[in-house]
This record gives sequence, C-alpha cells and structure tokens, in this order.
Amino acid sequence: MTEKLRLPAEDAYADELAALKASDSGQKPAGWVMSPQAVVTYVMGGRAGNGKDISAKYIGNRRLIETAVATLATDRALLLLGVPGTAKSWVSEHMSAAICGSSTYVIQCTAGTDENQIRYGWNYAHLLAKGPSRDALVPAPLMRSMEEGKLCRLEELTRMGSDVQDTLITVLSEKMMPIPELNTASYATRGFNVIATANNRDKGVNELSSALKRRFNVVVLPLPDDMEEEVRIVSQRVGEMAQSLDLPAPKNVNEEVRRVISIFRELRGGQTLDGKVTLKSPSGSLSTAEAIGVVVGGLSHAAYFNNGKLDAEGLAPNMLGAIVKDPVQDTAVLGEYLETVLKKRSDYGAYYRSMLDLI
Amino acid sequence: MAQVVSYFGIRHHGPGSARRLVEALEALDPSLVLIEGPSDVSDLIPYLGEAAMVPPVALLAYAADDPSSASFWPFAVFSPEYQAIRWALAKSKPVRFIDLPVSWRLKPLTEEGGDAETAVETAIEETQTPEPEPHVRSAISRDPIGALAHAAGYEDGESWWSDVIEQNPDSGPIFAALGDAMGALRKDEGPLESFEAAREAHMRLEIARAEKETEGAIAVVCGAWHVPALKEKHSQKDDKALLKAPPKRKIAATWAPWTAQRLSFESGYGAGVAAPGWYRHLWQAGNSAGARWLTGIADCLRKDGHLVSTASVIEAQRLATTLAALRARPQPGFEEFREAAIACFCHGEPALWATVSRRLLIGNEVGSIPDGVPLAPLLEDLKRQQSKLKLKPEALERELALDLRTASGLDRSTLLHRLMALNVNWGLLQDAGKSRGTFRERWILSWKPEFAVELVENLVYGATIEQAASGRLMSQLAQTMALPELADQVHRALTAQLDTAAAFGLKRLSDRAGYSSDCTELLSTLAPLADIVRYGQARETDTSAMGDLFARLAIGGAMALPHAARGLDAAAAQGLCESLRGADRAFALLESGSEIIEPWQKALSDVLSNSASTAIVAGVAARLLYQADRLTAESAATELSRRVSPGTPLADAAGFFEGFFEGQADRLLYDTALRTSVDDWIRSLGEEDFVAMLPLFRRVFSALDRLQRKRLLSHVKGEVQESVLQGLTLQAGAIDAWPAHVNEIVRILNAGARP
Repeated sequence: MTEKLRLPAEDAYADELAALKASDSGQKPAGWVMSPQAVVTYVMGGRAGNGKDISAKYIGNRRLIETAVATLATDRALLLLGVPGTAKSWVSEHMSAAICGSSTYVIQCTAGTDENQIRYGWNYAHLLAKGPSRDALVPAPLMRSMEEGKLCRLEELTRMGSDVQDTLITVLSEKMMPIPELNTASYATRGFNVIATANNRDKGVNELSSALKRRFNVVVLPLPDDMEEEVRIVSQRVGEMAQSLDLPAPKNVNEEVRRVISIFRELRGGQTLDGKVTLKSPSGSLSTAEAIGVVVGGLSHAAYFNNGKLDAEGLAPNMLGAIVKDPVQDTAVLGEYLETVLKKRSDYGAYYRSMLDLI
Repeated sequence: MAQVVSYFGIRHHGPGSARRLVEALEALDPSLVLIEGPSDVSDLIPYLGEAAMVPPVALLAYAADDPSSASFWPFAVFSPEYQAIRWALAKSKPVRFIDLPVSWRLKPLTEEGGDAETAVETAIEETQTPEPEPHVRSAISRDPIGALAHAAGYEDGESWWSDVIEQNPDSGPIFAALGDAMGALRKDEGPLESFEAAREAHMRLEIARAEKETEGAIAVVCGAWHVPALKEKHSQKDDKALLKAPPKRKIAATWAPWTAQRLSFESGYGAGVAAPGWYRHLWQAGNSAGARWLTGIADCLRKDGHLVSTASVIEAQRLATTLAALRARPQPGFEEFREAAIACFCHGEPALWATVSRRLLIGNEVGSIPDGVPLAPLLEDLKRQQSKLKLKPEALERELALDLRTASGLDRSTLLHRLMALNVNWGLLQDAGKSRGTFRERWILSWKPEFAVELVENLVYGATIEQAASGRLMSQLAQTMALPELADQVHRALTAQLDTAAAFGLKRLSDRAGYSSDCTELLSTLAPLADIVRYGQARETDTSAMGDLFARLAIGGAMALPHAARGLDAAAAQGLCESLRGADRAFALLESGSEIIEPWQKALSDVLSNSASTAIVAGVAARLLYQADRLTAESAATELSRRVSPGTPLADAAGFFEGFFEGQADRLLYDTALRTSVDDWIRSLGEEDFVAMLPLFRRVFSALDRLQRKRLLSHVKGEVQESVLQGLTLQAGAIDAWPAHVNEIVRILNAGARP
C-alpha cells in the first residue's frame, strides 16, 4: 500500500504497460518504448498479446487517439484542445507514460510562468563562485526531456503569456534550445516531443500566435456523444464525491442526474433530445464536470438545508449558475428554453417553476 | 472461330474499377461491348461520344403518357460504364445495353389512371420517390464492394479497392478475383427476387445472342454482383420463362444534364456515392492523388479566408502517411486525409472542416447535353397540362382571373405557381391576391420562346413540372439563411402545392430559427409565417407544426425584444418598429392565445418602462399596449407627457412621439386625455425647438385629411364640446330593439359578401 495520494500513470498501470511491452511486435519509432499500435491499445483498452486485459483510459472516438499518436510519431508536437472536463490532461499523461515510460516531465503553465521555467534557471551560488558554465545551469523539464529524449507535457498552454509561449517556437521547429549565455545550444535527442493541452472555451486566455499554432497538430477532445455514457460518468463521480464529503445520497439521485444531464445536453447541443426543436446555446460550456458540480451542490443543499431531500428547488440555483454566465444573453436563452420546451414537459414542472422564479 | 466472352464486374461509379476497366479493354480489344443498362434505349448511346456531352449526365426514360413515372441512369466521368462506352465509341466498336427494357421498371398503369409510382431501385438507376420500393435489395447486393470495405473498417469503398484489390500483388487478374469474391458473397444471400432474376436472365439471353451474331471477343461490363450469375449455365428455355409477359408501355427516353449533388448518396439516390467530388478527384489526379487532394483542401480553406501554409500541407501529408501505417494500411486513404486535414489545417475543429467538406466531397458540377438530343420531358409535361387545363401559350399579354375555390381555377393557379418556381414567368401574379381575399388570383399571361430553354435547364431537378419545381425550390431553401426569406419561400411552396418542398422548408425554418437570436429577424418572420398558417387553414393543410413554430418564434422574439430595443441607430430602430407592428398584426390575424400574447405584452411593457430603450421603439410599444387596452388612457397620457416633457432630450421626445402616433394621428380626435397631454407638450416647446420639430409634426399630422385636421384644430381651440355623443339621449326601448338590429345588419353584410 502506498502512502501517496495518487500515483503517476506509469506506476499505477505498470502491469498493463509491461504486458503490452512484452508482447509488442510492431515497429517502434526512435525513442519510443512501444509501437504506436500498442499505445492506442493502452489508451483505448483492449487485450495485450499475452491475453492480459487492458482497461480503457479514454472512452470515446478511437480515431482521435489514433490521430494523436500518429502525430507524435511524425515528430510534430500535439495540442489537445477541449472544454474543461474532457480528459485532456488525463489522455496526455497516459500517452506520455506509454510512449516514453514517463509522464512526469510536466510544466504547469500559468499567467506567472516566465521563460526561466520553460528553458533553464541558474544555480546562483555556483554561478557566483565559478562563473557561467553548464554546471551552473538548472534545466527546466522541457530541457531535461529534450536531453533525455522523453515527452514533455505542457498543461494549459494558453494560460501563459504569449511572449513566453513563443519560446517554444525554436524548440518545436529546430528541436534545439539555444543557451546564449554560454554560446552553445542543447539539442534534442530522438524521442523528444511535446504534448500541450489547452482550453478552447475560456475567455481571457492568451491565444496562440499563428506561428506557434501551425507547429502543432491539433486534436479536439469532444464532450461525450452519448447520453447514457454521460449519465454513467456523472452518477459515478457524484457517488465518489458524495462519499468523500460524507454526504448521504438520497434514492432519487439517479433520476435527478438524468434530468439535469438532459437539460444540459439540450442546451449545449442546441436542440431537444428528440431532435424536433432547435435551441440557442448559452455562452458557458455546460461540460460534464459542471453537471457533476451541480448535482454535488444539490446534494449538499439537501443534506444541510432540506432534510436530506434532493429536489428541483435545491438544484435550480446551481443549474442557473452553470447555465447563465452572461447575465443578459444567457438569461434570454434560458428563458426561451423554459418557455418553449420545459413548460410543456410535465415531469420537469418543478424545474420550470424554480428556474423561472430565479431568472 | 473462337468466341471469348469476358466478364468485367465493376463497382458502379468506382474510379478505381473504371481505370482498370479501360486498361483491360485496351488489352482485350473486344469486337463488341455489352453494358448493363436498359436494352431498348441503346440507340441513345452514341450521344455520349459527342463533345458537347459533358458528364454528369443521366439517361432518362419515362412512360410516354406519364413522365412522373421515370427512371434515371446517371453517368459521371468516373463511372466505368461511361468510360467503357467512350472507349468503344472512340474505337468505333459496337456497344449496346443488355439489361431489361425500361418498361419492366415502370409500374403498369393502375386502374385509377396515371398516378403510377416510379420505378424500382436497381443498380445504378435513380428513383424519384423516397417511399419503400417493391424490390428493396440488401445493401450488400447494391454495392458489394462498399459492403466489403465497410466490413473491413473503411468508410470509403475506393480506399479499400486501392488498398486491397490493387495493392495486393497476389490477386492476379483483378476482375477474375473479384468475380470469385462475389461468388462467395452471393452464396450467403437468399434466393433472388423475381425482378432481379428476370434481369439476369435477360442479360444472359442477350449475351448468348451476341455470341451467335458476333465474331471475336465480347466484353460484358456489369455490376460485380451479377458476374457469377451471368457466367452460370442456364438453359435458354428457363431464362425465357422468366421473361414471359413483358409489360406493354410506350417509353420515351432522352439524356438529361445531371449534377454532382444528385450523384451523391445523401440526395436519396440509392446507388449514389458518398463523395462524388473525391471520386472525380481520384479519377483525374492519378498518381499524386493524395498531395493534390490536400492541396485542394488547403485551397478551399484559403478561399474562405483561413490561413493554411504550404508547410501545413506537407505536415498533413506526413501525418496521413503515419496514420495509414498505424492503421496497417498500405497507403493513406480518404479517412486519413480527412483526419490529417482536420488536425493540421483546421486546428482540430471538425466544424471548420464541415464548412468546406460539402464543396470538396460533393462539388457543384453540372453536366450539359448537346442540342440534338430528343425533346425534354418537361416540355411535354407542360404541353399536356396546357391542353388539360385549356391554357394556350400566347405571346400577347392576356389577363386571367382565377377563383381558387373551383377545381379548374386551383389547378391552373398551381401550374402557374410551379412554373414561377422554375423561373418560367409565363404568368405574372398581380397584387398577390391580398386585396381581394385569399381565394382570388389575377394573372397576366405572356409566353416567351426562351421559356422552353429555361425548362430544359430545369431538367436537372426532375422529369415533371411538379418534381422539378419541388426540387428547385428545395435546393434554394437549402441555401437560404435568412428567416423572413425562408418563410417567404415556404409560402411559395405551399401556394404551388409542393408539399415535400414545403415540409422541407418548414423543417429548415425551424432549424434556422434556433440559431437566430436577432430580434428584428425573428419578429419580421412572423408576418409571412402568419400568412402561411392562415393559408394552410384556408386549404386544409396540416398547420399544427407551423402553429408551434409560430409560437416559438413569437416567444423567442418577445424574449429578445427588451434587450434588442436598446441603443439603436435610426435605421435599425425603424426596422425594429416595422417588425414590431408586423408581429402585432400577425398576432391579431391569428387571434393568438394568451401563451403568446402574455409574454409579448410583458416584453412591450419592459421596453416601455426601461429608460434605456430607444425612444421611437418605446413609442411603438406604448401604442401597441394602449391599443390592446393594457395601458389605460390616463397612464398612456402620463407616459406620453413624461416622455415628451421638457426634461427629455428633444430628439428622444420626438422619437417617442413619432413612434406613438405614426399613422395613427386620428387617435387625437377622439382621445381627450391624450390630446390634452400632447397639446400641453407642444405649448411648452420653445420657439427654436418648435421649429426643429415642425417636420415631424407635419409627417404625423399629414396622415389626417383636411376635415380631420380642421376638427382637431377646433378641438384644441376648445370650440367643440367634449364628445359627439354629448347632447344625445338614448331612445326609450333602444336596448331591447338592438339585438334584432344586429341580426339584420349581419344578414345584409353576409349577403353582400357573396358575388
């Protein structure tokens, strides 16, 4: 039993990776620990050559993962885009664990990330004592992964400033990092590549410059296609979170989850589930993760303020918070949805009334 | 004399098999080419050799007495049959069709008369009706190669063809291998439908006849599916038994120009291909197909203003190659290129790809036919209808009044409306029937010779006037984005009695309505939509769907109104006022219920109470509320005096005033409270302001005639007492006598309305 709260993918799934490696007969690109086919099997699930079952890490379109893996095999950098909660970081962690055996070369990009955190820093004691030299240089994960021929993961690329983002251009196109202070450069070993993730819905992030953007192949990870799949994900995550927060789960959780998800999916998808009426979509992303948040919020309200009863009155304020991000436009969108769609559905009467009261 | 019959099983509309077929024909050099196609129209084949004949074209055969019963055999430049015919014509070799004659495909005349349904679905022929066919064949027999490809995980049959058939060095002669594969496939299928059996029997007999008559090699070009059956030995007696009692029906046939869009599967063409654009590209591009395809995609995106560098094209090519390797395919195919293009050109957005995919995959090619081909069925259809409806084409203008309540009037009107939909403006509709109620139409007829040309061009859309009009309207509907225009086109489809087009338009209208959030657009759609609903009520069309749509648009517009009414410039404000009035009229026209009226009036009061609303819009809102009795005379007067009080900027005051009174100045004659308030406001104006406002007053008060203006003036001067009713007293017994009077008046009014 480990004391760590969470293990990196290469440790948590070490047995699956070992089984795939052992039975991998495909051709491996330079610096890869397994063939692209085996990487796809590892991410999508399936069966290793020796009969071991491989669990599915990503549930969704296989073609997207194939495109992502093929991109990394061409030495082009990969950018995973998607709204929050679409498993971008999860996929990037597992792909780097499978491709180079390590998922820990990570840079978390923020507005405060500067060039030193992307390139290298200095050991100032060493620098002062002995002057500039390679020994005084402290490489950041990107530089280390270049030297070791590993994959480097950049999380939330668009959150760091545009000037810092552009540091990557030379690295991605010429596969080298100049060190002007020492009049030298660090050259990438075969196997090096970059997986970046970014959020394509947020406002106020730093859009990639087109010079940088065209150095990435982009794969957009979509929200779940299938209602049942989404209900399953939400019910499962809500169950886990309720447990860790010590919230009792009332009996009707699954019914309410289904209603919340169907409202979310209708608004997000821009049409009713039966496909008969086209709707406007609000400006928010209404992702699966937000649906989970809404239901957990409702559970907490039920437990502390409503004698453990989960109902529309408790859920509606949370839903409103998720749906209405722009007070003018989204209110009109929601109002129209309530009046033209929900009003006619008898089993959604409580949602109609409580949301109408709030807007 | 050695007689060799070679069978070439092809994939209909498959560029890969077209290329191989031409090579095989070159190698074999047959002295006769037989092709799967209706044997009684072989005399039309030579037209395909003419330079003016540009595919896509379709062989069109129809019952001479009823063109709506028609079959099409489309040919694209990449169709193996087309290439085989071209090869034979170029080498001056005889070439003919060997499939069942056309009449077998057309349903015999039913007892009720000529309303026969269209032909059955066969290999390459298109049917006109979407209803289930009498001879529905399994997907596997329609496109066996496509089915094999799907089973192997390919979306595109051609990629499978090139990967499996052409890349596999062990397969030997392709057509023989394919024949074997089909033999294996056919074993699992059930017994043949009688129609299919008759087709194959007919082809066998024709081949046997050709063998007797011809010396030298014979090439048979047919769908791969049929090869095993045609090779099998059957006694001629059995085959002839299958062909007993051929249906007797006079057939006419011709060539029609076709479009790439109608070659595609999504147009409802059973044997269509998913991506004619891709196939044409494969046929034309030859060896460097991949790079050219990606360049074509990049080009298309650049034309739309997206940045796609040459470096990205190179990267896309590399990604496609790697993807193919990852999927264990010998070379990248359709899907690999698509995914590479999405990742490298479209920044991963499938939506961006979707904006160009139609143009690329389907294309907008239109075929053309030479002048010499036989008469087009649309002209014949028109002639027949003209004689049936007793409408002669005359060059001189003639007026025609139609009463739509009679069958002949309605039929004539329908024909003229349909022709208008085909851009053949034989008749011009005067004043659109609105002033005389909905059952009368007045037309000016005048026939011009160029209409015949126009009609032939419309053959692309269908073989009868009804089908062509419907097809053309639908293609227009598919391209229209603006809601009011869509509503207008739906109205046109309805008046032309084109139910399919109307239903399609309604669906599209409802889809587009979901995307539109522009209040002016939503509201201005309501007036034409109200016309549609009312029209439907008059002609017993099902209007419930339209009623729902009307309610949705109305509520959507009402929701958006309070926000949309703020901060508008003069032109936008005028537009919104116009649509506000139109919408309100539409509600009155349809006598809308409270579910619409309530949100509507609430929106109007929001506009009125919000000080940020543009003044003129607020004025119109106040007027509409006042008319609907939602605003009492006192509060209207209070509102008016507040809005036009000296504290308000002059331009705003004028705007509100204009909105309230535009076209409604006579209100001031009867409404004392309003008049007082307006009077006070005008008196309070300084001289400069008054002069500045004069044009506005003139505009508002010019709607009154001289007498009214005089009365208004004397009202204002206080010369006339409060009301015309003053000084009058109610007669004794008037209340009891009133109901009888009402009845009498109603009787007179009703009798007067009849002609």
